[in-house]
Amino acid sequence: MKKSDKKKKNGILVSYLWSAPSLILISLIVIFPILYTGYISLTNMNVYHWFNYDLIGLQNYKEALLVFDSGFLSALMLTIIWTAVNMIVQLVIAYVLASLLNTKGLKLRNGYRTLLIFPWAMPGYVSILLWKTGMFNSQFGLLNQWMERLGFSPVKWLADDLSAFICCTIVNLWLALPFMITIIDGALQSVDQSFYESALLDGAGWLKRTWYITIPSIKPIIAPSVVITIFTTFKQFDVIYLMTQQAGAKTGAHIHTILTYAYENAFITNNYGYSSAVSMIIFVLLIIFSYAINIKPKEES
Amino acid sequence: MRRRKGKQNLKLLLVNLVLILVCFVTFVPILYAFSVSINEQNSLLGSDFSFIPKQVTLENYRKVFTEEPVLMWFRNSLLLAVSTVVISLGTGVPAAYIFSRRKFPGRNVILQLLILLYAFPSLLSMTALYKLLSPMGLINTKVGLIIVYTGTMAVFALWNMKGYFDTIPIEIEESAMIDGADPIRIVLKIVIPLAKPTIAVTAMMVLIYVWNEYIFAINFMTGESTYTLAAGLYSLQANETSGSWPVFSAASLLVSLPILIIFFAMQRNMASGLTSGGVKG
Repeated sequence: MKKSDKKKKNGILVSYLWSAPSLILISLIVIFPILYTGYISLTNMNVYHWFNYDLIGLQNYKEALLVFDSGFLSALMLTIIWTAVNMIVQLVIAYVLASLLNTKGLKLRNGYRTLLIFPWAMPGYVSILLWKTGMFNSQFGLLNQWMERLGFSPVKWLADDLSAFICCTIVNLWLALPFMITIIDGALQSVDQSFYESALLDGAGWLKRTWYITIPSIKPIIAPSVVITIFTTFKQFDVIYLMTQQAGAKTGAHIHTILTYAYENAFITNNYGYSSAVSMIIFVLLIIFSYAINIKPKEES
Repeated sequence: MRRRKGKQNLKLLLVNLVLILVCFVTFVPILYAFSVSINEQNSLLGSDFSFIPKQVTLENYRKVFTEEPVLMWFRNSLLLAVSTVVISLGTGVPAAYIFSRRKFPGRNVILQLLILLYAFPSLLSMTALYKLLSPMGLINTKVGLIIVYTGTMAVFALWNMKGYFDTIPIEIEESAMIDGADPIRIVLKIVIPLAKPTIAVTAMMVLIYVWNEYIFAINFMTGESTYTLAAGLYSLQANETSGSWPVFSAASLLVSLPILIIFFAMQRNMASGLTSGGVKG
């Protein structure tokens, strides 16, 4: 009895020892800075008060959550719209393309697939910058060259909010579709073909088959990836930042997701205390969000 | 019967046409950048641009190497990427193994915490990281960036590899245990060979992350000589003029090349090595 107790204790010790390097690393570099962000959020730290800042309580939180003009709430609204629009369009297009790839008798299937996932393999920021400079630039972008050839006057694609939002959505789709197509394509391949055969015998049309067989069958398979994509879309920073608001090169559009908003307050207007408060609010939102959709370690289901 | 076959063929033709069109649209930005980068006369402002350049030149690629310190940026990126991969995997593999195999007090709490941390974008604690690293003299140093990157990737590495270890049957290890092998031997001789796909994919993801990270790199590094490729490329495009755009497009394609090669070489392992973070929706 005593011996096995000792052995168990020893086992626990070994477990801690083996995982210690990783956990210490995470505590120091990830957890501690988050706690420190929480502390900064209670101060008036900014570029003038970089060392001699004071604790000001929940002032920053009040400003973010209660003062509508501060811009946080509208950024949050926009982020939600952004996520919804992107997810819906992305799922529909990915589903259609994956279905086309699964057409019976399609010989070049693998060729198309390789071409379609190409954007996934490109470094994200490079793609965004190529889109921004190559396609959307108002002087020498390809879109305006086409416009000119068709006899229209050049357009400043990124200068007003709505058109910038659409341009950002296009770029985000371009970046995100390959992953979604791969996931849905894989799910479609796993659907039992005999379901379709019996449905065809019953005379079910394409819409009925999609609605009653395909979608219910692929739903559980694609669900985890869709959840992860919702997260990454919600947390999207690169597309909107690089397209419209690089330091010193703002395009005129004023669209902010919560992440670009937090970043701008920290590193452009140097309002560190306020930006940290925004960061903490975002963190809490993400926590609520992950509980709401019930993400759990797999084994505990 | 024949008519049905005709209909089938028409449908296939249409599907092929749509897919060809979609593939073309997908490639427009890349093709355009490529064609600009090899075009002799950069008549960008005129409307007589065509995808197939009239005169091909490698001048822009030469400029990338001679006029910009690209090789130095490349060295910096490589150094950062390799260090981050080594540290995050070196600490991550044993931890992921333990979290997959052993039950110990605090395990579940830590796992729950890790998933929350995984959801937290490191961008949001940038101010705090800056404030913490700056008194230690680690701003504008490679060590500082390695610290930031390792922390971010340690969570991912632990979580992703634990998910894969869970799928390896424990019986193999148990029989080795009965034969009297010690745990370190078991991990080195049995577990790591079995976990190769996930270790390779995790290493690739960490590498790609560091290769592509620009926002910490431009805020924590000042001065061209300390830039990574991503930061350097970012600074190249920041002075967006029609003159610099051909050089930038050449540089973009060069920087993407290694990532493209790694990605397509690893593609077969992707599905098995990436466990979607071991989460269920």
